[in-house]
Formats: sequence, structure tokens, C-alpha cells
Amino acid sequence: MQKYFFDKHKSNKENKLVSLKEAISTINDGDVLFLGSFVDTRRPMAAAYEIVRQAKKGLILLAECSLAEDILVGNGCAIAWRGCYTGMATFGLSPATLRKIEKREFFPDEIGHIDIILGSMAAMVGSPFVATSATLGSDVVNEEYSRNEYLKNAAGNPEMIPHQKFVLMEDPFYGKGTIKLQPAMPADVAIIHVQQAGEKGTARIFGSLGFDHYFVHGARRVILTAEQVLPEEYLRRDPNRNQIPCTAVDMVVEVPWGGHPSQVQNFYDIDIPFIKEYVSSAKTEDGFASWIEEWVINLDCRDKYLDKLGAGRIQGLRTLPPYGYRQRFR
Amino acid sequence: MADKYAKIGDYTAAEAMVINAARFLKNFDCQKGLIGTGLPLVATQLAKLLYSPNMIIFVETGQADAKPEELPISIMDSRLTYGSSWQMGDPEGLFPLSRGEIDFGFIGGAQIDKYGNVNSTFIGGDYNKPAKRLAGTAGAVDIGVFAKTTVTLMAHQKRRVVEKVDYLTTPGWMVKKWPSGEMVRREEMGMQGGPNAFISTLGIMKYDEDSRIMYVDKIFPGVTPDDIKNSTGFDIDVSRASENEQLLLEEIKILREKIDPLNVYGMR
Repeated sequence: MQKYFFDKHKSNKENKLVSLKEAISTINDGDVLFLGSFVDTRRPMAAAYEIVRQAKKGLILLAECSLAEDILVGNGCAIAWRGCYTGMATFGLSPATLRKIEKREFFPDEIGHIDIILGSMAAMVGSPFVATSATLGSDVVNEEYSRNEYLKNAAGNPEMIPHQKFVLMEDPFYGKGTIKLQPAMPADVAIIHVQQAGEKGTARIFGSLGFDHYFVHGARRVILTAEQVLPEEYLRRDPNRNQIPCTAVDMVVEVPWGGHPSQVQNFYDIDIPFIKEYVSSAKTEDGFASWIEEWVINLDCRDKYLDKLGAGRIQGLRTLPPYGYRQRFR
Repeated sequence: MADKYAKIGDYTAAEAMVINAARFLKNFDCQKGLIGTGLPLVATQLAKLLYSPNMIIFVETGQADAKPEELPISIMDSRLTYGSSWQMGDPEGLFPLSRGEIDFGFIGGAQIDKYGNVNSTFIGGDYNKPAKRLAGTAGAVDIGVFAKTTVTLMAHQKRRVVEKVDYLTTPGWMVKKWPSGEMVRREEMGMQGGPNAFISTLGIMKYDEDSRIMYVDKIFPGVTPDDIKNSTGFDIDVSRASENEQLLLEEIKILREKIDPLNVYGMR
């Protein structure tokens, strides 16, 4: 019996730099995929665009269907999702995801936010499950709504999906009543966008870590896209400031502005008009298709994308010290 | 002194809701709140400025004692990072909740029932074939399970304020006991607290001490008890309602000019 979810042996290469095309080409159809960070901040947008260009199929998404994932769902790259959020904060609900769910072309499986954290924590510590009272009393623990079977059948690698969504039991240790056993939530691939990475994979994040510092240890393969690739040695002068160790990372890709239109603290602020335009376009099948054509298919690298955005626009997004965002009034 | 008060028509229903919510947060000054995304962030920002400067703000993305200078666009906004005591990630943001340290949760939603259960997952049809899919559980389920009490903020409409929610996302006073799904009092599940108030575009609803059923506590100026009855999907008790103080011009000015000058949240 294999005790672990996968062979955690990572590459020990001194230089893990690859191109975005090469990194994304390692993703298989049917993989369980985690895209790092949350909602509208530090999202691996360039990576999501490349997944669309490489026309991946049957992906199972973890955690959320927000800014980056919605593009994959709309393009038919993903078939199902286990997570807690299908919105885009102030910009409304995730338009393509909603459309596909309501048309039964994409299948959600609801868990809570703490469930995701505990699932990734279990994968991180190498435990098959953890116990919690999260979501008790809610419909998250309604068996009728579980899509576990569907996820297991759809996964290219069914070992990434547990046999059951959860188990309820009585607390045998402290007598605290009913508790839920939450299974580990490993992934085939995690793609994390970070501000700074060394060529060997040491990475430094500014702002909320999301659960990236957990998930990098619970994924079979970890791809970093970075605003800046810096000498590994530079990041090692102050290792307390690093959140991702090189030992957890397989590939590093340098993609300046790789998080646009999301916000990347200390680099650029959120591009509100861009997201608003996406949300309104993606509400219809045709609108989504023409948006993808214009911003993803027709622009096969990040440089062309930036040229299309224009220097003036991106200059207006640059953040300033000491805030790490761009003040609305200066 | 008449001119310090705003007249009906000087503000939108969303602004009235947010300002009344900010006033209500006076009750939570010096307490630890976990704030959800959307209008709760706006009301909290206004409250910090006007009514509860010592409220301690947590959000689920891992800040401790956030003191945003500008209104955040979402719970991931770096506007929450700058000035915080600590910036980690979602685990560190939510574990205070599951440890039982959070005094109140403040959330939005799409549907609320008479026991204060909130739905933010889907409306109409079935989970597997929803008429309208919503934003999902996010932190709302965790806040409902673990916070000592919750405040809910939502527009008051008949299809939103209902007898029974289509999907129980945030547990209120009567919750589902699985595997049967029977409705039981939350204490029976060993869950602390319970909802404190529902602040809508029409008034402030509280929950009866014994029956735990929602009743109208305060009605906003310009709103009648019948307006609330007609906008509620069950027979709501209005007999205990009194009128809330009118909005102050100053409150509207600060909300518009200082809190959300760009109308990012579309309140007007």
C-alpha cells in the first residue's frame, strides 16, 4: 500500500527556469489543478491564458472559480470544481462559471473555506484526513449534493479524489459532539503567481499568501510564475521573508505582469475597467468567445498582450510605496 | 437642527442600509469581527471612521487587526495588508474563527430565512440544476458555524427574505442535523452564538429570545410596517418595531466622498 498521495521527490536542479509554454505543456487533460491565491489578487492569469491556448480539457479545479478559473471554465478546459467561491468580489459573480453550471456543462461540488484549508493542510502534512466542525448544520454536508463520485470518475488520476466527500462521526477524544472528517485535497498541479522567485524556486510573496504556502506541499507538480526572477542567492540572504521553499517547486517561469488584470502587491493594482469589461462580455457564449479571441488567442505571448494594453494603461496601474497599492487619490 | 438630517430621496436604499449597519456596529466596538466581502466591508470602513474606531478587523485572507486607509475592493485587496499587525494567508485568517475567538461575523448573502439562515449558493431549482447559481459558501458558512454572533446585510425583497432558504449556507438559529437533515436548534449541535441582526434596505430585524424567529426591531425613515410585511416572504412580526433615527447628511457625505468616492460598490 502506498502511504503517500504521490512521490514527493522534487527536482533538485539548480536552475528550474522554463518558458510558460513548456511549463503549461506538462499539464495533462483531466488533471486536478489548483491556481494560486484568491479572487482578484496575485492570480496566475498569464498561465490561465496559456492553458486556454493549449486547449487543455477535463481539468478539475480546486478552491474557487474566480478571475483566473472562470476563463478556463468558459473555454471548456475544466469540467468540474470542488471549492467555495464562484464570484469576483465587487465585480459580481463569475460569469462563465454561472452560465456553464446553469446549463449543466460544468459541475460544482461545494465545500467551505475552512474545508479547503484543512484539505490542503492534510495534504501538506501527509495525512489522509483531519477532523473539524466546519460546515456542520449547513447544506455542505448534505449527501444529496455531493458530486464526489462524478469527480472521481472525471479525474485523470482518480487517486487525487477521496472515496467520500466527508464522514460524520462523534468526537472520540473530547466528547465535543458530531464532527466531520475532512479528506486531504491533493492536486496534480499547482500554479502560483509570486512577486519574486529565484532560479531554483525559492519564492517571496507580498500581501496575503492565500493558501499557497500550504498547497505547494500538497501538489504533485508546482509551477511558479513570477513577476521577477532574481538571483536565488539574493532571496537566501533573508530566508525568513520567503514563503515557498525551492524544495517544493518544479518549474519557474518569469512573466512580468503575469497577474494582470488582478492586483499584485508592490507591482501593480487591479485593472478595474478590464475586469468589468470581461465580466460583461463573458455573460454570453458569443461575448466570451470574442473576448478570448481578442485577449488570449490572438496574443500568443505576454509581450503582445502588454503592447495591446499599452504603456499608458499599465503605467497607471503601478503601485507606490509605502502602500503596495496605488492610492485612488494622490 | 433640521438641516443636519437627510431627507428621503437624498440617498439610495443601499446607502441607508450601509449607514444603518455602520451605526449598528457601535455595538461591536472593541470586539473582534470577521468581515465578509461586499457591502459589509463598506459598512465596516464607515463604522471605523464614525462609530466604532476600536473594532478589530479580521478578514479571511489572513490579516490581523486590519486598518485599511482606503476601501478594499475585495477581501484579497492589499489595502487590507498595509497597516495590519500581521499578514499571513487564509489559514491564519480563518483559524481564529475555528478557535472560537471571533466575536461577530458580518456577511452579505442572497436569501435569508426567518431563523437567520443565509443562502449564498443558489436560488431556484436544485443544487444540481440551479435556476440561478450564486457566489458559493466562501467564508460565510464558517462564520455562521464559528462566530459568537453574526450580522447579515442584504436587500429586503420578498424573494430574498423567506420562510426557508433554498440552500443553507450560513447556519442561523435552526440548522440542519445530518445525516437526516432535520431542523434543530443550533445549541443542540454544540454551536455557540447565533445570528444577532439582519440589516436590510428597509429596517433592522432581530430574533425572538424564545422562538428565535425574526421580527422587525427598527424601521428606517420613510418605510412603513406594511412595506416590510409586503417585502417579506413570511408573516413577519412588526408589533415591536420603532422608527430609526434619520440619516445624517454628514454620514452620506462621508460615505460618498471619503469611503467610496469612485462608487466602486455601485451604491448610488
